[in-house]
Amino acid sequence: MYDHQTRSLWSHITGEAIKGPLKGKRLKPLASMPQIAWKAWQLNYPNTRVLSVPTRDGMRENRRQDVYADYHASQRAGVSGMDYTDNRLPNKSLVIGVQVQTKDGNTQFRAYPLTHFTETAIINDTLGDVPLLIFHDKKSFATAVFKRNVAADARTFTPQDRYFVEDNTGTRWNLVTGAAISGKDAGKRLERLPAVNIYWFAWARYYPETSIYR
Amino acid sequence: MKHYTPIFILYFFVALCATAADYTDDAIRTLLPFDAIPAITDPQFVSASDAKLDLDAPVIGVTFNDESRAYSLYLLNGHEIVNDVVGGLKIATTW
Repeated sequence: MYDHQTRSLWSHITGEAIKGPLKGKRLKPLASMPQIAWKAWQLNYPNTRVLSVPTRDGMRENRRQDVYADYHASQRAGVSGMDYTDNRLPNKSLVIGVQVQTKDGNTQFRAYPLTHFTETAIINDTLGDVPLLIFHDKKSFATAVFKRNVAADARTFTPQDRYFVEDNTGTRWNLVTGAAISGKDAGKRLERLPAVNIYWFAWARYYPETSIYR
Repeated sequence: MKHYTPIFILYFFVALCATAADYTDDAIRTLLPFDAIPAITDPQFVSASDAKLDLDAPVIGVTFNDESRAYSLYLLNGHEIVNDVVGGLKIATTW
């Protein structure tokens, strides 16, 4: 991507300017829900505003199909013809890509293959010295990564139903919003971390040092 | 000059495909000219009840300072970037 002001080129994966006057500058990655079914988002955020794109004839763009469906269903990796050679996973494996800053100032990367989420929606993990809760609901495709700390305590979470978990203090959490809805810590929020749903070939190309959750 | 642009693009794309096997480094390669995919710079929104999305349509969701957005991935397929301000934060949502 490029910015209109300087025409520098930026990587949309790393957020770093790779060419032009701003080369070397970095955009700050922000936490989001990288994907979720509209029904589930609307249920959790009823006041949400929804993108609507006007067309030249005064109508609204109404796209109800994925124009890249064939690409997603294929074995093709990217559009550039480049070879991707990190064979630890098949190129088109979908993973949740996570990066954390550890106390010693390093960045660690880990890929969580979505195949781990067929039986459970959550993984309690620790990356570097950061305790993590990885959430993926296979039905709505909701994905979220949280720190497992509440204040100074690392919690361990157990699934309850699709979007909810209980930690070892008996607090019940909504993992779409990250909010504690009942129990000892009701009203608190888990800290959400940036995460992406991404094909393995792209994640591994940008972050070759990544580990894989097995 | 402008009328010739599409021809340049087509030629360039064919040339890239023909030499695809040579790509062994991370050099930047231009596949499309600036703005061939029109980013959204002045986004418009509707409420949840006015949204014409299918219930299972995939969206990117963001929420900052109690302000929330849903961006349909099917719309983003054609635009790829939304420049927005959410909860006071200036953000680019990319897909």
